[in-house]
Amino acid sequence: MAAPATAESTTHPSGIPAPEGSVEVTVKIHRFNPEQDEAPHWESYDVPALPTDRVLNLLINIKSYIDGSLAFRRSCAHGICGSDAMQINGINRLACKVLVKDLLAKKGKTTITVAPLKGLPLLKDLYVDMEPFFEAYRSIKPYLITYGNEPTRERIQSPAERAQFDDTTKCILCAACTTSCPVYWADGSYFGPAAIVNAHRFIFDSRDEGAEERLDILNDAEGVWRCRTTFNCTDACPRGIEVTKAIQEVKRALLFRRT
Amino acid sequence: MTEVERHSYDVVVIGAGGAGLRAAIEAREHGMRTAVVCKSLFGKAHTVMAEGGCAAAMGNVNPNDNWQVHFRDTMRGGKFLNNWRMVELHAKEAPERVWELETYGALFDRTPDGRISQRNFGGHTYPRLAHVGDRTGLELIRTMQQKIVSLQQQDYAETGDYEAKLKVFAECTITELLTDPATGAIAGAFGYWRESGRFILFEAPAVVMATGGIGKSFKVTSNSWEYTGDGHALAMRAGATLINMEFVQFHPTGMVWPPSVKGILVTEGVRGDGGVLKNSEGKRFMFDYVPDVFKGQYAETEEEADRWYTDQENNRRTPDLLPRDEVARAINAEVKAGRGSPHGGVFLDIASRLPAEEIKRRLPSMYHQFKELADVDITKEPMEVGPTCHYVMGGIEVDPDTAQSVVPGLFAAGECSGGMHGSNRLGGNSLSDLLVFGRRAGLGAANYVSTLSSRPAVRQADVDAAARLALLPFDPPEGSGQPENPYALHQDLQQTMNDLVGIIRKAEEIEQALERLVELKARMRRVVVEGHRQYNPGWHLAIDLRNMFMVSEAVAKAALMRTESRGGHTRDDFPQLDPQWRKTLLVCSSAADDELVPGVTVEPKEQEPMRQDLFELFDIEELSKYYTEAELAAHPDYRGAAAGSGDEAGKEEA
Repeated sequence: MAAPATAESTTHPSGIPAPEGSVEVTVKIHRFNPEQDEAPHWESYDVPALPTDRVLNLLINIKSYIDGSLAFRRSCAHGICGSDAMQINGINRLACKVLVKDLLAKKGKTTITVAPLKGLPLLKDLYVDMEPFFEAYRSIKPYLITYGNEPTRERIQSPAERAQFDDTTKCILCAACTTSCPVYWADGSYFGPAAIVNAHRFIFDSRDEGAEERLDILNDAEGVWRCRTTFNCTDACPRGIEVTKAIQEVKRALLFRRT
Repeated sequence: MTEVERHSYDVVVIGAGGAGLRAAIEAREHGMRTAVVCKSLFGKAHTVMAEGGCAAAMGNVNPNDNWQVHFRDTMRGGKFLNNWRMVELHAKEAPERVWELETYGALFDRTPDGRISQRNFGGHTYPRLAHVGDRTGLELIRTMQQKIVSLQQQDYAETGDYEAKLKVFAECTITELLTDPATGAIAGAFGYWRESGRFILFEAPAVVMATGGIGKSFKVTSNSWEYTGDGHALAMRAGATLINMEFVQFHPTGMVWPPSVKGILVTEGVRGDGGVLKNSEGKRFMFDYVPDVFKGQYAETEEEADRWYTDQENNRRTPDLLPRDEVARAINAEVKAGRGSPHGGVFLDIASRLPAEEIKRRLPSMYHQFKELADVDITKEPMEVGPTCHYVMGGIEVDPDTAQSVVPGLFAAGECSGGMHGSNRLGGNSLSDLLVFGRRAGLGAANYVSTLSSRPAVRQADVDAAARLALLPFDPPEGSGQPENPYALHQDLQQTMNDLVGIIRKAEEIEQALERLVELKARMRRVVVEGHRQYNPGWHLAIDLRNMFMVSEAVAKAALMRTESRGGHTRDDFPQLDPQWRKTLLVCSSAADDELVPGVTVEPKEQEPMRQDLFELFDIEELSKYYTEAELAAHPDYRGAAAGSGDEAGKEEA
């Protein structure tokens, strides 16, 4: 069942092709099948890995050669779609953007632990229910709000106005930030950083006229004031968005509005 | 009787990429109760990977641009095999669609005076691509996702139900279309929830297919896992036809190293912004590969090419920006001649051409992609790139104006439809394609539904049959022999298509591929999956494989029949463009000889001649490179056989 091995490649006992330069690593995965398991458990797989492989490649190999039922999301596989956020060695990352070489142990055999995002309901293996996350996103009215007549061509926006909210337009809705937030873990009714980032994207868009409505929503008990500025979200963002800074800017907009 | 969750809608859109979402918005705006069904999470579609931009002749950067220029560029790019009516609609309507998207809230990079900025791209005469850095596709999807959220909140305000008129069924796969046996018209769609494995049935008189491409049938591809040709195969099994399936676009610049990321796209925007291709000798080799049909349209020296970036009025563009098929073949030839890069590609150099800060500002995603995945700093070193399977020009044959296929009630838009791009798509023309024809398909479906006096009924027997076929991998027939792993079978299919029906083709190899496909299809009967129905990726792949086999057979059979080279179809044994083949379409349909994976039959069909006013938009000198002498006679500047290029076919006819 293995693919034809190339000249410089041997086959690992797992059946996975082991190209020259690969090392054996242990991937410890949080497994849960609601049809047969009472509770989640850990399972370990010894697999060959090149230092340039990404954690996603290891998961795909485990699924293709060892256990075809291993469930995880992925789509574009290079950090644009935001499907494969998960906890890798305890940190929220996109599996398609973490290289094995950055996880190799200095001495002895490397173990890579992979677990689902925390704070969202677990469905199977690494697969969580994203609905609460998207519900928070939708609640901040994530769309352009304008009044008056639509223009026949484009609205004018200067490069400087456009640059003002560039950072928060990079969000890929992967949930890495929201599920790294201790406030969100403790209380799922908090909107979470991703929803605030997406509110920021419109509040600071010169074309938008819905800032007041959104600020009212974010001023709510479950809104921005719950943020304790732990910076977990900024560290977790695979797009390098300064999430905490965006939240601070929204807080400032609220304060400014009141004075 | 099969246990199945039932829904009833006016229009069901399959696929939630750009075309699907635009179709859904249009159908909903015309009062249709609309469902969108997609395999991934809402907002994660393959469209997000489009980097370069959306082509629309708005003339914001160069006022000389207009729909006629865009029309000519697109026909040239497709080597005149395109459906000219689709190209006309596309060129005329793309600007409106971009402005409309901007009013939805889409972000764009701006000109100094605040209008939408436009960038250069391969095959486009003027800067034409509206863009947001190198994440245009992501912004396009996000904007339409936002538009749908706003429509749902409007519906909630009116009805108390967010999903009263428009509902997204995410992580749900359609496995079969259901038709009325008397009329052949669409009656519904059958599928399953990926999470629970439970079956779902949509009863609907109209289906819009917007499932994207087929790249996952090839080993080296820029496509994501969803691209298994579902729409192509489902449509064929429902009685629709496909055209242009022999034309598969290999994007010239995919990553070639490290192995784990081989195939991932490097945007053409790198070349549009000044990046150049070099071989191992440091030579800018593209100047040696300008084909006759494009002679005179591209710079002939490096100096002229470099001047073009700042002065486009007085200089011709660099041949690094030839259409994708030309560049992919050139790279292939350089590597074959031993002038490739260490990992089997060529070099793409922007480091020596632009300041580091400028590169990071214009191409942030590319900078990070190489830094993070390949440990290469593109502001300091060249990238290594090579061809990767990127796009299928072929797809469901549709009426250009309504987007309806030959099956009543079945519409198609975007990559899974065929005709618009002819034999080769220009970069930037896919985002505009899916906006223009996504809207038209949604509108076509709404108009169709509103004319119906009664709705076709779904037959229970068809539902039971669809369920039985879907469950086959859990319980293959007794005595079928050695069980097959779906992943191993998929790898063998990808290897076969990559090696034998790839970028350069010849008859013996395609015949060999067709023999292998027969063997692989036999193994398909023995596929067994482990585990249960709840989120079982092995089972999902087994179901997708049915579609990949049908599509692969269509590609291989059409490729064998077309004995010429044109655009995304290169025959080593027939290297020339043949004007006789220009007006010929190869039409693929299901042989309906097997319920699991039916065979594919291919029939040639003559393409309708271009409307006279469009024909006259071209100089006869240019047309003579593509058309037969008899066809050229219709041009007002025709002066007899001597005026033509004197091609062989023309001589015979003259």
